[in-house]
Amino acid sequence: MAAAALSSAATATPARRHAALPSFAGLRRAPNAESLQLPSSTGRRGRGRAALTVRASNNPKLPAGRRLRVAVIGGGPAGGCAAETLAKGGVETVLIERKMDNCKPCGGAIPLCMVGEFDLPQDIIDRRVRKMKMISPSNVSVDIGRTLKPDEYIGMLRREVLDSYLRERAEKSGATLVNGLFLRMDKPAGPGERYRVHYNKYDGRAVGEPVTLEVDAVIGADGANSRVAKSIGAGNYEFAIAFQERMRIPAEKMEYYEERAEMYVGLDVSPDFYAWVFPKSDHVAVGTGTVTHKGDIKLLQEATRNRAGDKIDGAVTFRVEAHPIPEHPRPRRAVDQVALVGDAAGYVTKCSGEGIYFAAKSGRMCAEEIVRGSENGTRTITEADLRRYLAKFDKLYWPTYKVLDVLQKVFYRSNPAKEAFVEMCADEYVQKMTFDSYLYKRVVPGTPLEDLKLAVKTIGCLVRANALRNEMNKIGIYS
Amino acid sequence: MALFSPALPSTFSASCSKAQFPQKGRLAFFPKRSLSLFVARSADNGTGTTGSVAVEVNPEKKEEAAAPVAVEEKPEENKEAAVLESNGATVKTEVPPPKFLDPRWARGTWDLEQFRKDGTVDWDAVIDAEARRRKWLEDHPGDSSVDGGVVFDTAIIPWWAWVKRFHLPEAELLNGRAAMVGFFMAYFVDSLTGVGLVDQMNNFFCKTLLFVAVLGVLVIRKNEDVENLKKLVDESTFYDKQWQATWQDENAGGPRPE
Repeated sequence: MAAAALSSAATATPARRHAALPSFAGLRRAPNAESLQLPSSTGRRGRGRAALTVRASNNPKLPAGRRLRVAVIGGGPAGGCAAETLAKGGVETVLIERKMDNCKPCGGAIPLCMVGEFDLPQDIIDRRVRKMKMISPSNVSVDIGRTLKPDEYIGMLRREVLDSYLRERAEKSGATLVNGLFLRMDKPAGPGERYRVHYNKYDGRAVGEPVTLEVDAVIGADGANSRVAKSIGAGNYEFAIAFQERMRIPAEKMEYYEERAEMYVGLDVSPDFYAWVFPKSDHVAVGTGTVTHKGDIKLLQEATRNRAGDKIDGAVTFRVEAHPIPEHPRPRRAVDQVALVGDAAGYVTKCSGEGIYFAAKSGRMCAEEIVRGSENGTRTITEADLRRYLAKFDKLYWPTYKVLDVLQKVFYRSNPAKEAFVEMCADEYVQKMTFDSYLYKRVVPGTPLEDLKLAVKTIGCLVRANALRNEMNKIGIYS
Repeated sequence: MALFSPALPSTFSASCSKAQFPQKGRLAFFPKRSLSLFVARSADNGTGTTGSVAVEVNPEKKEEAAAPVAVEEKPEENKEAAVLESNGATVKTEVPPPKFLDPRWARGTWDLEQFRKDGTVDWDAVIDAEARRRKWLEDHPGDSSVDGGVVFDTAIIPWWAWVKRFHLPEAELLNGRAAMVGFFMAYFVDSLTGVGLVDQMNNFFCKTLLFVAVLGVLVIRKNEDVENLKKLVDESTFYDKQWQATWQDENAGGPRPE
């Protein structure tokens, strides 16, 4: 996550970038650029806009007395937020979740802006991390987070708490919560027909009873192994595997992790990602992730514990978790009246591996477009409505994803690069930029002079580290 | 690049001394491992938690009795979890892991006083020592909190020490190459356009060409570098393609019925 800052020279504020570089269309097709604005916000400008306005109101009206019914599959942050927004928008919403107390293996860090944007109560945040330690392959440790203001922090929470809170809120807004396991769905048989969603209903019983539900649209928020994605042929993505052990450590050792999280980089703990020690409610989570060396994950995990060393000495592991983490979005994220959000779509950043915020955000955005396209549940929706959500999401977050991808490619390449990465993170300017862009999810423009200094410094770090690496190779040969 | 040529105190060859390292014997003691650092580590540092490095084999360890592990639950939704079963023993090292030892290494940094030679710090020796320490750590990655963490920053080694050590040995070659390439480029520009060498210097295009030549000499040092650069370009656009897939799919299929 460090240093989205690097790019600050290249990526100005979205607004500024938009004005200065109108041709930069991110991933959108040109016509969609216009459709991103709300129809009521400004007058007509250009053909794209006009087309949208017409299309939105052209969706056929539903019969009187029937509202648009949407099934949200999966009750994580993405599903919860989507269901809440849909229900508030007057859409008949059914949220299907297999396991209500599911505790997904997950770092559980959320940026500060999520608390405000999603109105999260303070008490679901277990810990407020204000110190972050990065440890390089040669054990150089750097404290980042010195630039944080007193009211700024990275929230650490437990997923079971967050998920059930968001689900409850969706239910309060009017969504129907179903404890069921999604099995498959059938496409509408013909015009005027609806999707048929098949699921096993549990309701606390051990054996499920098969139920079929007719819906107008489906939001797939069922995670990395999404069945919805499979059933619409959304294509696959490369995934990383994250392995995490939850450990209880002696109280005096826990003090150290009170407000602190640690990130380890190095070939020993992960060839292409980082390893972490994150504080949880009353324990720590120690884990690592990799794409390229999935088979070696246990060795990597062992190396991680070894690097944490004395700090987690005497720890008792009470839970071991592993989970796939998508590396990039699926080739198709919206097909007909089915859209994917969250991990199911593949919205996890590189470099930091962050996904909760983007999942919640994509769920909400998708739901907003459905509400808008259906005019509060009174009309049917089309793929164009769902594509509007995709366009919006891509436009808003593509720069963030790309920056993190570049950072990962540059700095997680090799040990010297990781060494340089940590060295660079000692810089206050880098820290400030990093945290600003992480906590508030906007790319802030830096000062050109500082950016230039940073570029020189970065190259210096990389050159030095690589020079040392050459020297190390010589030792290997001659000694 | 001519910048780097002026005479600097040129003692770099003298300082590449390896014999003075007290840990040399220790290094020789650990057999050198190639390629896999993971294998090297788990076998070497004697943590005793994994007898073998094979992942497929479920390492049911003897110590597990002493360290009770309750694997409450495994996420059913991913197949990987089944393969990656717990090896969750407590972190207990029976033998204290090897520690990097060097009389000049103290409190997480190099004691520069001990590197003094004729009144000035012998930076070459510092570079040597640090390379050796990193190499050692790569072979025996260990506890990050030893000695309260490492505070040594390579940035304290002045830039000229790096240039002297790493650039000067190569400078002759690169300068020669740049001069050759530059000369022939000037020659061809002259023969094609009739613009003489002196006039070329006033020309923006020719200046750009000169810049490209110098940069090219710096970036492409070996033949493999061309391949690597190509790979780099592919790599840098790969993620874009992955994201664009959603939109391309639609374009390829023509307008969808809406």
